[in-house]
This record gives sequence, C-alpha cells and structure tokens, in this order.
Amino acid sequence: MPEGTARYPDPVSLIATSGLTKRYPGAITALDGLTLDVEPGIIGLVGSNGAGKSTLLKILLGLLEPTSGSATIFNLDVATHGIAIRELVGYMPEHDCLPPDMTATDIVSHLALISGLPKAAARERTAEVLRHVGLYEERYRAIGGYSTGMKQRVKLAQALVHDPRLLLLDEPTNGLDPAGRDEMLELIRRTGTEFGIAVIVASHLLGEIERVCDHLVAIEGGKLLRSAPLVSFTERTGTLAVEVEEGRDALVERLTARGLRVAIDGSAILVDLVDEAPFDIVRDTVVDLDLALVRMEQRRHRLEDLFRDDPSVAPVAPLAAAVPAAAAIPPPLPPADR
Amino acid sequence: MSLLPPVSRAGNIYDLGYRRYEGPRLGRAHAVRSLINHSFRTTYGLGRSGRAKAAPIIFGAMAILPAVIIVGGLTIAARFGFDRQLDDAELIGFNNYFSAVTAIVALFCAAQAPELFGRDQRHGVLALYFARALRRSDYALGRLAGFVVAVLVLLLTPMVILFLGRILLSTDIGGAFLANLPNVPPVLAQAIVIACLYGGLAMTLSAYAPRRAYATAGIIALFVLPGIVTGIIIGIGSSTIGTWLTLISPNTIIDGTNSLFFRRSLGEEYFFVSLPGWLFLVSAVVEIGVVVALILRRFARIVT
Ligand SMILES: Nc1ncnc2c1ncn2[C@@H]1O[C@H](COP(=O)(O)OP(=O)(O)O)[C@@H](O)[C@H]1O
Ligand SMILES: [Mg+2]
Repeated sequence: MPEGTARYPDPVSLIATSGLTKRYPGAITALDGLTLDVEPGIIGLVGSNGAGKSTLLKILLGLLEPTSGSATIFNLDVATHGIAIRELVGYMPEHDCLPPDMTATDIVSHLALISGLPKAAARERTAEVLRHVGLYEERYRAIGGYSTGMKQRVKLAQALVHDPRLLLLDEPTNGLDPAGRDEMLELIRRTGTEFGIAVIVASHLLGEIERVCDHLVAIEGGKLLRSAPLVSFTERTGTLAVEVEEGRDALVERLTARGLRVAIDGSAILVDLVDEAPFDIVRDTVVDLDLALVRMEQRRHRLEDLFRDDPSVAPVAPLAAAVPAAAAIPPPLPPADR
Repeated sequence: MSLLPPVSRAGNIYDLGYRRYEGPRLGRAHAVRSLINHSFRTTYGLGRSGRAKAAPIIFGAMAILPAVIIVGGLTIAARFGFDRQLDDAELIGFNNYFSAVTAIVALFCAAQAPELFGRDQRHGVLALYFARALRRSDYALGRLAGFVVAVLVLLLTPMVILFLGRILLSTDIGGAFLANLPNVPPVLAQAIVIACLYGGLAMTLSAYAPRRAYATAGIIALFVLPGIVTGIIIGIGSSTIGTWLTLISPNTIIDGTNSLFFRRSLGEEYFFVSLPGWLFLVSAVVEIGVVVALILRRFARIVT
C-alpha cells in the first residue's frame, strides 16, 4: 500500500469531504451527504447531540467507513491513506478510554511507542506533554483515582504526544466543572495558536467553542448548516440589549439619530451589532444623557438561528457573553452559563 | 476571534515550552514490537500493581514447582550416590512434564488473557490504538503474540531448570549435556504448540467476551469440557466419534503432539486411539489458524 507519504504535506486544505454519508444499521443516517472544505486553524464543529459530529471525526480517522462519499485530510484520502493520516493526527475520543490501573505516564508513553516514537523520545515527550496539560506528581498514580478533569488532560496528552499536525477533539469539556472547562479551553486555544497545530473541536456547546475557535462548522441531522469564519457570525447576528432605569425613549431617539438600528423589546432596547462601534456609542450616549444603566449585554440567537442565512430572526435566550466595552460601567452582568 | 478575553488563571501557569518532535517515526513494525513487549509485561504484571502480579506469580510458581522438586531430589540423590537410579526412574521428565502442568497453564491463560483484549475493550482503549498509525491486524497480532510468548516462557522456564539441574548435578557434565540435548527439539516444539493453541484459544475467548468473568469461565470451559465430553462418549461406547473428538479437544490434541514429538505411545487412557501422531499436529495447526482468523475478524469489525 502507498502508505509512506510526506510527513508534512502542504496543507492546502485541512479537511475536505464530498457527499459524505454514514448510515448505521437500523436505518439511522448519521451523516447525510456532507460536503465540506476547511482550511487549517481552530475549527469548531458544533451541532446538538446526535448531529453526527463524532461519526464525522471517526470517519476522518478511518475508525469508521463511510457508506458513501469521500473525505480527505491534508489532501490524503481517508479510504486509502489511513495510516499516513493517523500519523499526522491526534485523537481525543468523547468517551472514557483510559485503563484505570495504569498511570498517566505509562499509558501515554506506551501510546507514544505505538505511534512510532523510539523509547527515549517517547519517555521524554510523555513528560513534556503531561506537564503541558498540567499534570505533575499525579502522573505516577493510577488513573482510576483521577478526577474527570485529570482524565480529560491525560486524554489530551496522549493525543499530543506524537506531535500531530491536527488534533481531533471530541467534546473535550465533557464532565468538567466551570474552572476545568476554562482551563481545557485555554489549553486548546494555546495548542492551536502557539504551537501551530490545527484543531477540530466537536461540541454541542456553541458558547464554549466560540471562545477558542476561528472557524465554525455547524451540522444538524448529518447535514451541513453552515461553515464560515467565526467573525462572520458575530458580525451578522449580534444584538446589544440595553436597559436603563428611565429615559429609555430619549436614548432610543439619540441612538437612532446616530445611525444605529434600534428596536424595543419590553424594558430593553435592542441595538443591532454590525461591528464593535455600538458599544462605545451606547456607552457615550448613556453618559451624555446622564442615565442610570441597569444592564448591557450582548445577545445571541439560538444555535439553529445562528446558522440560518436570514439574520432577522428574533433574538432569544442570550448565550451569556461578556461585553468588552462594558468594563467601564458598573456591570451587573448575569453569571456566565459555562 | 473569540469575543471573550482569553481566560487567564494566575494560579495555573502551564509550561510554555511545547516542542516539536523532529525525530524519527519508526512505523508499524516498531508499534507491533512495542505491543508484544507491553502484552508480555502486562501478562506478568510487570510495572503493575501488586494485585496484578498475584495470579502470574502463583501460577508461575506452580508451573515451576515440579521442576524445582525434581532438581532438589536429584541434588539429594547425588549426595547419597543414588542419582543413576533416580534418573532411570523418570517419574517426571521432559516427555511428560507438560502433561503434568497443563491444568496450571490453562488456569494461567484463563486468568491473564482477559487482561489484554478484555481490558482494552472494557475501558475503550481500542479507540486510542486504532487512531494511531497501525492497522487493526497489527494491534490484534501484536497483542496475541505477546501473550503467546508469555505462555511460552511459563512452559520453558521449568524445562530450563530441569535441563540445567540434570547437567550441572551430573558427575560428567559434558556427557550429561550430550545425553540431554536430544530433548531440546521436542521440548521446544511441544511448548510452541501448547503456547499457540492454549494462548490463542484464550485470547479468542477474551476478544469476543470483553467481560472478564465471562472470558475466564469460557476459557476454562473450553479447555476442560471437550475432554470430558470425549471421555463420556467413549465411556458409553462410541469410540469412533470419541476418536475424532480427540482431534478437536485442545487437551487431547496436545497429548497427541506430545507423543509425536517425544516418540512415545499415548498412555493407557488412549488405548482407543489408533490415530497417527501427525494428525494431532495437523489439527493443532488448523485450530491455531482458525483462532488467528477469528481474532483478526473480531478486531476488523469492532466499532470503537
Ligand atoms: N454505533 C452506532 N450504531 C448505531 N447508531 C449510531 C452509532 N453511533 C452513533 N449512532 C447514531 O448516529 C447519530 C449520530 O451520532 P453521533 O455521530 O454520535 O452524533 P454527535 O457526536 O453529534 O452527538 C445519532 O443518531 C446516533 O444515535
Ligand atoms: Mg458525539
């Protein structure tokens, strides 16, 4: 088999799929003609549970065979270059995958050997990646006694130990408490930005992965909803909700006069966020009018709405997001739901 | 980019020095060697907790004990000048040692094979192997080979003790070496057949029955029941069927190959068997082939 290919192929395209379909026994269509092309970066793969995210990652790794269609990673066909691809990829599965009676050091260095690293290199890189994910003395203890957070770190470490060009992370924040989630997301962000490793993060929590990724791919029912840079989502769909104690109408009038698109929703004023400018305009206007600001927060559309092409859908349930400009104002922001 | 400022936690300063790996990647053969090594060590509990060492230590000791007793007996006999007589008595020697420890080997397989294929499946570790640069068959064969080598070591260690004991305790070391040398080829051949057949059967069961208790019970049943069934069928008078069943039952197969390799007629209980020894070897090879095919099939199809 022509498995021996270049270690560092020119990444014209990170992953590309064409009409990718996967049917499980029992007439379950997990992927339904998915066609996709993304460039290297930190890619968020979002979709609700059962959308087909895990199935897609497994097909990319060659763990599952598609029913029809094709897929490539770094322009290598998953159907014919499985081994060459898996040399370039690190995979963090969604579910438990660690033997409880082994220590973190033992399992990670063993898996490094399986990835082809010589013994000394395997030992050295194991120590490095475990330190990188924040495991120190614990790494000599049996994994059975680890917290979920520590296990997730070991899972990330084994995906990194052979220095892949691409990480496939399946629900990496599953089972983590808020602090653990923040740390995991920060680790992912740094891995993607500072170490130049492309990352695909599958998650059902848009609010989480939008914090680390620069490109979003949304799938639902095995079909592509949308694939676009994160910037384009926030440009189109952001809404700023502003509440003041009194003087609402005066504020609306002023904001409209300054060219903002403003709507009224109960006690709140909704300002269309075309770019970042409205933050400053609203703040300045509130100060000018000497109004008492109760609340100022950015609202998002529900996940499905986000990926529709029509941005005029009514805003609902704010996905908590901090507002950079609000720092100057006493901010009674709601607690983040993450 | 993200709308949120990156989370910074003063208390958790991660090591910033992630380094690229520019060294060699040794490929599939290295992966398989590593798997064989790891399987062997796991089987003997090396580098594992004390509990994981208990079974291999107990069964290992039981398999070696007869050899130690014999060598001890030889030592004492040599002291009192009875060594010739004891040697001639041949209570237990190269040609019947394996028959004496078959049950122990079976228990060792039943206890330890589920530690490999069973454990990898129960804890989802397969996904981590299959996501790496090797084939599923590399994984399956590497694990299997590591276990077969472990069983081989269990079988050969007492033979080495016996061999060295007989030679070193002799007054004529050179002569004893030459006298014992002809035992080496049949011992090796028989040990390889037992290790492949018993090890392979145990690994097949544990590949298809990830739950430890089921696998262990199944392996014991597989080693014991066919022999019992054969015995019963012969007992009720159908020696034709019984004769053919001896070619299927693992324990009668290895009795047959033992008689082939050591050029020794089957014992009294085999009065009914008129089959030539090579037929048992053929059966062993066929069964080992089936076992390997079943294991490969299992891991080719399993969904992780
Ligand atoms: N091994 C399987 N057998 C049958 N159906 C499956 C299997 N794995 C996943 N599915 C189904 O395929 C669909 C997609 O699953 P999955 O890829 O796990 O989605 P996600 O990761 O987005 O939650 C779901 O309806 C799921 O129930
Ligand atoms: Mg999933």
